[in-house]
Amino acid sequence: MSKRKGLAKKEARKGFGISSIYLIYAAIFWGYPFVWLFILLFSKWRFVGSPQFVGFRNITRVLTDPLFWKTVTNVFRFMMYYIPLVLIGALLFAIALNKIKFGKTFIALSFLLANVSSGVAYSIMFSNIFSVNGPVNKALNTLFGITIPWFTSPQWAMFSIALIVIWKFIGYYGLILYAGLTAIPKSLYEAAELDGAGSLTKFFKITLPLLNPSIIMVLVLAITLAFGIFTEPYMITGGGPMRSTLTPMMHMITTAFQRMDPTYAATMAVFVAMISFGMIWVIRKTMEREVDLV
Amino acid sequence: MTNKKIQSGNVILHIVMFFLALIWLYPYAWLFLASVKPSAEIYTRFLPTKFTLEHFRFILESAERMNRPFIRAFFISLFVSVTVTVCVIITSAIISFALSKYRFKARDGIFNFIIFQMVFPGFMFTIPLYILMRNMHLLNSLAALIVPFIMSGWGIFMMTQSFRGTPNDYIEAAKIDGAGDLFIIFRIMLPLNNSVMAIVGLFTFIGVWDNFMWPLIVIQDYYKMPLSVLLASFNHEYGAYIGPVMAGSVIQTLPMVLIFIIFRKAFLQGISMSLK
Repeated sequence: MSKRKGLAKKEARKGFGISSIYLIYAAIFWGYPFVWLFILLFSKWRFVGSPQFVGFRNITRVLTDPLFWKTVTNVFRFMMYYIPLVLIGALLFAIALNKIKFGKTFIALSFLLANVSSGVAYSIMFSNIFSVNGPVNKALNTLFGITIPWFTSPQWAMFSIALIVIWKFIGYYGLILYAGLTAIPKSLYEAAELDGAGSLTKFFKITLPLLNPSIIMVLVLAITLAFGIFTEPYMITGGGPMRSTLTPMMHMITTAFQRMDPTYAATMAVFVAMISFGMIWVIRKTMEREVDLV
Repeated sequence: MTNKKIQSGNVILHIVMFFLALIWLYPYAWLFLASVKPSAEIYTRFLPTKFTLEHFRFILESAERMNRPFIRAFFISLFVSVTVTVCVIITSAIISFALSKYRFKARDGIFNFIIFQMVFPGFMFTIPLYILMRNMHLLNSLAALIVPFIMSGWGIFMMTQSFRGTPNDYIEAAKIDGAGDLFIIFRIMLPLNNSVMAIVGLFTFIGVWDNFMWPLIVIQDYYKMPLSVLLASFNHEYGAYIGPVMAGSVIQTLPMVLIFIIFRKAFLQGISMSLK
């Protein structure tokens, strides 16, 4: 009896001992930065000396900084193009993949291959493909006689960036939705057909509601991505033209390391995180439905 | 009649999807062809009249003289990605074993803490983490690219979930045969859970190889830059050398594409597993 107790104690000690490796690691690389984040939030500091406490000045500065809110609106402009297009595209892709019999693997892999393209290389690739004398404009010119300033006009630049991010993620999101589609029992559709439901009714009354968890997941991923977007605008447009593609991440990095103002940059990062949390919370609150798949 | 209609619709769907798949592959094809055709043909032709490796030679040899050591950067990227991936797999396996197979008081607390951590987006910590690296005097060194990432809460989470499903009988049997904990973890638990190991490894490797913002901030020396940052800086200053830039992009993309093609099964599993 006492031996078993001793063994259990030994096991507990060992378990905690091993787990504390992670706790120590997290304390250094997560806890310490977390404390610094709070210090930065309420102080003024330029990487030298010790931070000076300034109360809520950084926070009021963010609230009244037109450039910061411009970058936030840029993210919303990005989402305005990105989310509807990528969601509808991924949904169509998932439905088509569900119906396809021949070459399914080839098609799925072709779309997914885009997802592993490396951020810097694919930005360079697309900035050439969509350049003024690039292949896309050349095709448009011979077909319709038009040339589109994809990345050089303030009206087009964010849309073009959204397009290439769609190229990258449509396969990934599509596969998430496809996994959701295959989980819907066929018997539901058969029962609906017996009741005389058309394909539109089946789509809106069965497919869409039962796909709700997957759609919410894609939305959450897309929103998270939108607020963290950095490489594409940094590489392709550098935030221009006329700051139309300047994103919060780019603004944060230049503020911290070129203008040497880390306290203000950290405050912006917290705001961006809160805005993205807020949006995700609202979406889950208003759109998420409990789904029971038998 | 209706059967025929459905069939022809199905044929059209197949054709459309094949066509779209080709469109999705087109940028890769264009990039690759641009890297092996003479400079004059990059914007004028899709298929080259003559195959050339001059752009690769330029980026791998001449760029070195322009202070852009691409071969070195390639091996730095490879070294950093492999080191981080191996470390993450080892640490995740050991810690997940403790979290799933030992009973102790703080166990659920630690696991919940890991889930809680995953809620915070990484960019919130970029600047404080930079300050930590600075205080540790690790800026502008490869350690700054490796040390903060040798453990992964996400990796521990994924492996713990998977280890929980492995029956304890295997462990008991090994213990009776006199196996130690490390033997059990690396010879029994990991092989039994090799799909989750592949997923954690794959996503970690791709994440590190593709990371751009962090190395851009912490590495200033061209001779310590990983490939992504060096390629960006080359494109920034010598963007007119379109051929070599394309060759550099191919070199940077190729490892991920190869890994994806080799491990596509694990990749697909990873996507469907992230749903739970």
